[in-house]
Amino acid sequence: MTTPDLYFIAAIGLFFSILVVIAGYYWVRSRRSPEADWEVLFAKLTWIDRNNIAEVALDLVDESGQPKASEDDEGLEPSRLWSLIGGLEGLEALERNSDVLIELVFYIQKWYPEALVIAEQLRLDARELKWHVARLRGADRKGDLQVSFPFYAQRAVVRYYLMTRRVLSLYEAANFSMLAQLQRTL
Amino acid sequence: MLRLFRTGRLEGETLAVRLSEMDLFFWAAGFAVHLVLLFVLFYRGRARVFPFFTSLIAFSVVRTMILYPVLHYATTAGYVYTFWSLAVLDVMLQLGVVYEVASRVFRPLNVWAPDVRGSFLWLLNLSTTVALALAWADNPLVRTRVGALVARGNLFAAALESEILIAMLALSVTARLPWKTHVAKIAQGLGIYALVSVLLETAHSYSGVSRLLPSFSILSHVRIALYLCCATYWIVSLSRNERPARTMTAEMREKMFALGSQVAYDLHDLQSRKRL
Repeated sequence: MTTPDLYFIAAIGLFFSILVVIAGYYWVRSRRSPEADWEVLFAKLTWIDRNNIAEVALDLVDESGQPKASEDDEGLEPSRLWSLIGGLEGLEALERNSDVLIELVFYIQKWYPEALVIAEQLRLDARELKWHVARLRGADRKGDLQVSFPFYAQRAVVRYYLMTRRVLSLYEAANFSMLAQLQRTL
Repeated sequence: MLRLFRTGRLEGETLAVRLSEMDLFFWAAGFAVHLVLLFVLFYRGRARVFPFFTSLIAFSVVRTMILYPVLHYATTAGYVYTFWSLAVLDVMLQLGVVYEVASRVFRPLNVWAPDVRGSFLWLLNLSTTVALALAWADNPLVRTRVGALVARGNLFAAALESEILIAMLALSVTARLPWKTHVAKIAQGLGIYALVSVLLETAHSYSGVSRLLPSFSILSHVRIALYLCCATYWIVSLSRNERPARTMTAEMREKMFALGSQVAYDLHDLQSRKRL
């Protein structure tokens, strides 16, 4: 057997091992116990002041998530927005939490497949939230963060606020016992 | 999938003569298992849900029915031509099954989930590149260019299929997209078979692709035995019902429906009026 042959066999061995490891890792992840999963998920949520989130979001939309009728309101001052949200770091925490929210809905979907449509919608919400945060990261790199922050940040917060309302409503609709725990956090 | 009798026989000798009892046993077993699987697919109503998979199994039955008389009555050239023509169809149907699995997982609401589309295409390109690189690096111990092409093609198909199925598993777990039981079972069977086939194809390449070699028969038998295990797994899995989900009460269903409608309305309204 020549040296190139040995290299090829080594490459096949490496290829096979990598695929087996990846498959094993994701297979184990997909089969984690749902009950334990929920506690782990819940622990992943970063605590965020929900009053601040509500104040920022409700400046743009009403309680039900409908845009406010009058668009002539002055709205929150940029400096106030920055302090309520906690700057870019605060938005990054929302971004991380949005992933956890999706997983919380996915958890319910394991039991009730009808929740699929809500889970899909939340995934789209999270995608949009991340899009806004990505714009702000870009602005930060260019030194334009202060200018762009009010527009993108408030819309990202609205999206997050709506996501939390939907998750709570879903848990309420499904009569899940974890609702109270979630209500305290979200 | 069954790659018996594909190459290497002595001049002037009929292919049927060179079949061992073990070869015939595996051929008959494969035919019987496919028939049972096809019966399960139609009897349990899975054929409507998995048309590509059903077509692949039906094709395997028909292929055996075609190859058997060809083996006994046709010339070597006729047999090889028939075998490889059918093998091309087989690979196309296997890719169809992979598409079917992807479609069940990544189109939960009959629309491709937009957040995984880009990642899936990226993984598809990466998988194809890696499989092509492995096939190109392969240096099979064969005498003809056609033989080398066939060996590389087999390795490419096995590597690509295993990569795509594992990429789908990883992506769906990351994106929290659920696998329904039957789709998962089909993917598991195909994935394991494809993954082990990568090793078997490599072993074939370096031990020589000729039925005159004992190693060729052993590797072929291992492959078919593995495939028979996968097919039996499909028979058992697909004959059972999917894991039952909890049933919602009428009140819960109503609330869920209202929430779903509200979510859709909110998003549409917000996107159109505020361009969020």
